Amino acid sequence: MRSRIAVALALCLSITASAQQVLDRKKAPPAGATPALHVPTWTKGTLPNGADLILSEKHDLPLISFSITFLGGDDQFETAGREGVASLTAALLSEGTKTRNGEALSNALQLLGTTINANVSGETGTISFVSTTAKFGATLDILADMLLNSTFPATGLDRLRGQRLVALTQARAQPAAIASRVFPRIVFGSDHPYGRVVTEQSLKAITRDDVVAFHKAYYQPGRALITVVGDTTPAAAKPIIEKALASWTKGGDRPTFNYPPVTEPRATTIFLVDKPGAAQSTFAIGRPGPPRSTPDFYALQVMNTILGGMFQSRLNANIREEKGYSYGVNSNFAFGKGPGAFRAGGDIVTAKSDLALVEFMKELRGIIGARPITDDELSTAKDALIQRLPATFASVSSINGAITTLWTQNLPDDYYQQYSKRIAAISRDDVLRVAKQYVTVNNLDIVIVGDRSVIEAPLKATGLAPIAVYDIEGNPLSTQ
Amino acid sequence: MRAKFQATIAAAALIAAVTAAQTVAVSAQPQATRAAASSDTLRLPFETFTLPNGLTVILSPDKTTPTVAVNVWYKVGSKNEVVGRTGFAHLFEHVMFTGSGNVPYGVHDKYTEGVGGSNNGTTNNDRTTYYETIPSNYLESALWLEADRMGFLLDALDLAKLNAQRDIVKNERRQRVDNQPYGRAGEILTHAMYPAGHPYSWDVIGSMADLSAASEEDVKDFFRLYYAPNNAFLAIVGDFDAAQAKAWVTKYFGDIPRGKPITRPKVEPVTLQAEKRLVYEDRVQVPRLYLDWPTIGENNDDRFALDVLATILAGPRTARITKALVYDEQTASAVQVFQSTNEDVGDFAVILTPRPGHDLTNLEAATDAIIDRLKKEGPTAEEIQKATAGEELNFVRSLESNLGKAFRLTDGAGYHGDAGYFRTEYKKTLSVTADDVKRVANRYLTSGRVVLSVVPMGKLDQAAKPDQSTRVTEYDEKKPEGVK
Repeated sequence: MRSRIAVALALCLSITASAQQVLDRKKAPPAGATPALHVPTWTKGTLPNGADLILSEKHDLPLISFSITFLGGDDQFETAGREGVASLTAALLSEGTKTRNGEALSNALQLLGTTINANVSGETGTISFVSTTAKFGATLDILADMLLNSTFPATGLDRLRGQRLVALTQARAQPAAIASRVFPRIVFGSDHPYGRVVTEQSLKAITRDDVVAFHKAYYQPGRALITVVGDTTPAAAKPIIEKALASWTKGGDRPTFNYPPVTEPRATTIFLVDKPGAAQSTFAIGRPGPPRSTPDFYALQVMNTILGGMFQSRLNANIREEKGYSYGVNSNFAFGKGPGAFRAGGDIVTAKSDLALVEFMKELRGIIGARPITDDELSTAKDALIQRLPATFASVSSINGAITTLWTQNLPDDYYQQYSKRIAAISRDDVLRVAKQYVTVNNLDIVIVGDRSVIEAPLKATGLAPIAVYDIEGNPLSTQ
Repeated sequence: MRAKFQATIAAAALIAAVTAAQTVAVSAQPQATRAAASSDTLRLPFETFTLPNGLTVILSPDKTTPTVAVNVWYKVGSKNEVVGRTGFAHLFEHVMFTGSGNVPYGVHDKYTEGVGGSNNGTTNNDRTTYYETIPSNYLESALWLEADRMGFLLDALDLAKLNAQRDIVKNERRQRVDNQPYGRAGEILTHAMYPAGHPYSWDVIGSMADLSAASEEDVKDFFRLYYAPNNAFLAIVGDFDAAQAKAWVTKYFGDIPRGKPITRPKVEPVTLQAEKRLVYEDRVQVPRLYLDWPTIGENNDDRFALDVLATILAGPRTARITKALVYDEQTASAVQVFQSTNEDVGDFAVILTPRPGHDLTNLEAATDAIIDRLKKEGPTAEEIQKATAGEELNFVRSLESNLGKAFRLTDGAGYHGDAGYFRTEYKKTLSVTADDVKRVANRYLTSGRVVLSVVPMGKLDQAAKPDQSTRVTEYDEKKPEGVK
């Protein structure tokens, strides 16, 4: 490898030398020395109301990312029959407070040049913004007003409900959207929190009282983390935050995450959902997986990277690049507090649905032993995972996410410093062991949403699994 | 294998290329134009230089994160294609990842995604971009990869490879157009707005029939002309040493020969004499209405006022159409308004989705009334202020991404001959006045527009003014393939 100085000298002093030097373009240039990993540092504190506070300084740009994260989400706080109330409540925080109606909130934020985002997902909820340093205090005041003084006007609820009903109707037109609703219902069953979905019925049942009750129960400091990342200091930010949230009094605690056991494994079955005229079939193949806290996390990361986590992973290299059946296929693990699903899939050209299924199953059998993992696959997967880490810390919001994840997932403060070591330690045997444990080819649910009149007979002819026909809501129609 | 490449270029160009190769080191002492950010917000320093073969290089070091973004911006898009041979620019976006003369298939991914980075490409009517982000110690290999596909792609391109990529493009079309509700609206609007033969009248993804019919030589000729260093802009942004980067750029790109002179298509501005009303049946559950006016491109400063106009009409809940139709009357569940700016032309679109029980005819009338009022009275000063107040934050946030900065710099250089055009853009956006917005609304939002209703199958009567709307039917390419 050439040193920098040598190159610079050659260029300055010798006009012809470098042109005449034979450049061997066949040889990949060697990589330079691996840059040191700089994990941001942070300070931790607690507000008088019990909320945790984490602050990380980054001063290169005049930006601040602020978030309040709540532990627990739909799965812990929504009651049966009211699916969707968490998300509606979050949206209603923008609809008006005791002193500002929805338009006044919107006008104030537009003039500050920013937006405040509130949402609740399965296991966490957040309310957050990114602002310039100069607008931080004023934006935080509005966030506090939304969090603490919202009035939840019934007109706002009715409008948001109406918009969501339209969105649900529209989702029935798209195979991928249908699959994303049907797959969890089939894998987990509609009684499991992971199998619940928002329906027309549940949206229509939600009352303003439900929203007010959800807000009161959920948005409590006892389960909250405030994360501040960017161009400020603990000494500057803490008083601003304490003042803005002064009326947010003690309450709430961290929920427990007791997910019921998943159903007994069943024989691999094709769950076919008819979407007449679909140009492509959406595939979602999977089963319940391990929680994020599994000691197998690192081995699973490496395994999934080899199987379907990257462009040149086995699934995409075969089904897109070699066979041309798809514009892209992949696999992943949901890694939540409970048994989040393993899912492999993608959109497959209708006429190749049967052939693609054969290839999916071939690759899944391959990763559990039929096709041994090569040295190159193992080292590339590990390199990719380890070396992508620095990019995680590029922006104030990505740093915020990286730090907040440690809190929500109970991970140690030195998680990122240890990450490379943990990934590097994974052996081929580790990968094979977790593949066999979690990619159980005899117990998979294969959800395929596509044009039944074209794909059913060819799928059946593969002889890979029996076919059960389901409707677009995930209810069985018939079994053959 | 280089000879094959050089043999196809004109003698004059060949001489230039040879000269370039011999004097390559001279270019390492570039006439750098240093640019310092003019205000505290616009802190995006860069320098540019040009290699003798015409490659424009933009360097912007930033040590914040140990990664580097590399973007190669070719001034070729679908408008450079010809009728009967469309879809080539986008097809190359795929072919460019299949390996080149010295880089076997798969190596590009290995030295980008495989080392913790990422790669991709994009194509529009005017340009194609190829980019990667890599850990900073992989910059030299990234430049090696990009240089090899610029200089030696055709050495590794055969018919089998070309056919495989044609199939993937067809799958992309199925996924992004055919299988998406409302997915065909874009191309229907394009076909209605531009006259046949106009360089913007075909879709970026091209005609699937053209792709099938193209010969290997057709495709290779297209590459030889447009993917040459004199038609490319290379930006390197992130954690690197500028002197080292210059040396590597010279080493890998310096002896790639200049291409033939390029004749750019002559793009006539588009106006519609009268309203064109269309209806299309799609596999959707809810109808949707599109109002689309021809406007202007990158080089016309009216685009800044058109952007502000779009924000005043829709987006935040106080925006005029959003407030009236989504919030107050609740006849619409969603509305979007935006100005799309290409290099030479643009269009201004309003997209409305009704709430159940409300029809497109009334939505259209209500929207027109709102626009007419704005054309008469103009916006308020507060509306202008609200529409532009987010510019500073948006700009500063974009500085957090090496790739985002690389895109900004190459767009400036490629479209405006000035990598620092972002400063002009920023200034011009912030100086839009209420009068400007009133003027562009009156000038462009006229009766010469396309009105498209997308309705559920068998529900032609759900179109806006169904009796005045012409039905658009399937194009040949729409037929499902391979079904026996």
